[in-house]
Amino acid sequence: MDNVEKRRFFRILAHAPREQVAGLAREIEEHCQVAVLKEPQKTLVMIQVREPVKNSRFYLGEALACEAMVEVDGAKGMAVTLGDDFDKVLDMAVLDAAFNRKLPQCAAIQARLEQLEAQQRRDQEREYGMYRRTQVHFESLDSEVPHEDHP
Amino acid sequence: MAYVAVTGGKEAIAESIRLLQYHRCATETPLALEAVEKSMDLLIHRVMGEAGFYCPAYAALALKQCEGSVEEAVFLLRAYRSTLTRSYYSLPVDCGEMRLIRRISSVFKDVKGGQMLGPSYDYTYRILDFGLCQEDAAQAHRQAAAILAGAQPRPLERLETVSQGLRDQGLIHTPPENGEEPFDVTMENLEFPCPRSARLQVLARGDTGFVTGIAYSALRGYGFSNHPTIGELRSGYVDLTIPYLFAEGEQIDLGELLLTQVVSYTALDDGEAPGSLTIKEGFGMVFGRCESKAIAISILDTTLDEPGDAPCNNEEFVLMHGDMLEMNGYISHLKLPHYVTFQSKLSSVRKSREKGGAQP
Repeated sequence: MDNVEKRRFFRILAHAPREQVAGLAREIEEHCQVAVLKEPQKTLVMIQVREPVKNSRFYLGEALACEAMVEVDGAKGMAVTLGDDFDKVLDMAVLDAAFNRKLPQCAAIQARLEQLEAQQRRDQEREYGMYRRTQVHFESLDSEVPHEDHP
Repeated sequence: MAYVAVTGGKEAIAESIRLLQYHRCATETPLALEAVEKSMDLLIHRVMGEAGFYCPAYAALALKQCEGSVEEAVFLLRAYRSTLTRSYYSLPVDCGEMRLIRRISSVFKDVKGGQMLGPSYDYTYRILDFGLCQEDAAQAHRQAAAILAGAQPRPLERLETVSQGLRDQGLIHTPPENGEEPFDVTMENLEFPCPRSARLQVLARGDTGFVTGIAYSALRGYGFSNHPTIGELRSGYVDLTIPYLFAEGEQIDLGELLLTQVVSYTALDDGEAPGSLTIKEGFGMVFGRCESKAIAISILDTTLDEPGDAPCNNEEFVLMHGDMLEMNGYISHLKLPHYVTFQSKLSSVRKSREKGGAQP
């Protein structure tokens, strides 16, 4: 899970509970020098949306997030995540720096991230299956009523 | 002089504020923030939307702090938001990638990908459930969890929008990508006519009752003679992403937002020529599952482009009078002392009566 997959890396961490992220970051913190460059703090993210009708962009509103920046063995890492969990965002930044530094511990962490991702995927698929149970199966009772299929 | 400074209410004000606690804490039964946040979803969504500030936990806190007043909660969140620095702008959210929990259409029953009702009160009997008076919260939660546990997993899928099929047939205009930078009403004053981006932002932050009421007036014929239909209503989770600071072209995921998007259709005649009847799309989007508001926004998105003298056609009227903070702020100011101005009015009334010979 190198830099090419940053989005995936952060998605897994964003969905993971705080304790799991802390457990992963501990692997790094126990063996490396961690310097906090930016203490965790709250910030705002303006939510930009592309709407489909005029294919234009607009701002829907802002979201509360928190951010942190660290250095691990000379490599910088950062994290921004929704909410105000300072411990989690600091641990996320540590993990980001560790992957940027390509530390040897990252191989094992990557394997655990992939397990987490698989579990998150299974959870989402189960949840989607739950909502899909509300799919409507129409049966027209009146053949005289004209209808056109969705193109 | 319209106003004079008055003093003397300091102790009364302090006691008044103490009384808020008297009313807010009228029971020993705890009101856990988690319960407010997780069990009052639709109220949380409304408050977040009208505050323009997505943070369910703080919306719950605001509601707890102000006895559940939506207007006070919006005020608190807007005030809090003003203490924070905006460091990031997200990349454009793509609702085509939404992890759906609800998707319906009123125009095609067999819409590609199917209609999925999701959680909806549309089909419930509106009868008070007195069973909830004795509800065992833990047991109810276990029953709710069992609904999920008993579900058959299903692969996530990307469902194309209902409009896409009509675009492919040329029945709906396919717009070219508009690269215009969005207007930000939190940073700039509105001027009219305003950009579409400003309109959608203001309506998304608008008071739910106001926005829905104006759209309702349009449906009743004030400034609009059509009946829009819902092409598609979809609710679900979208990823919020920002650029990664240390590598150009990289993105990071911040987590998911729950949003609702509506595209409505109205058949409108663009001119006298044959073939000028077209289907016009209206768009609305809101935080959470506030779908009536999203539908209303999509209707106003259409009516505001139509000529007419009714409120729903008047951009300045609609966009300047629906902000929760502004409207309630102005209404609230009427509670402030107007002693001098009223004395002046009384004096005018007396003089007028004296001139007219009326007895007091």
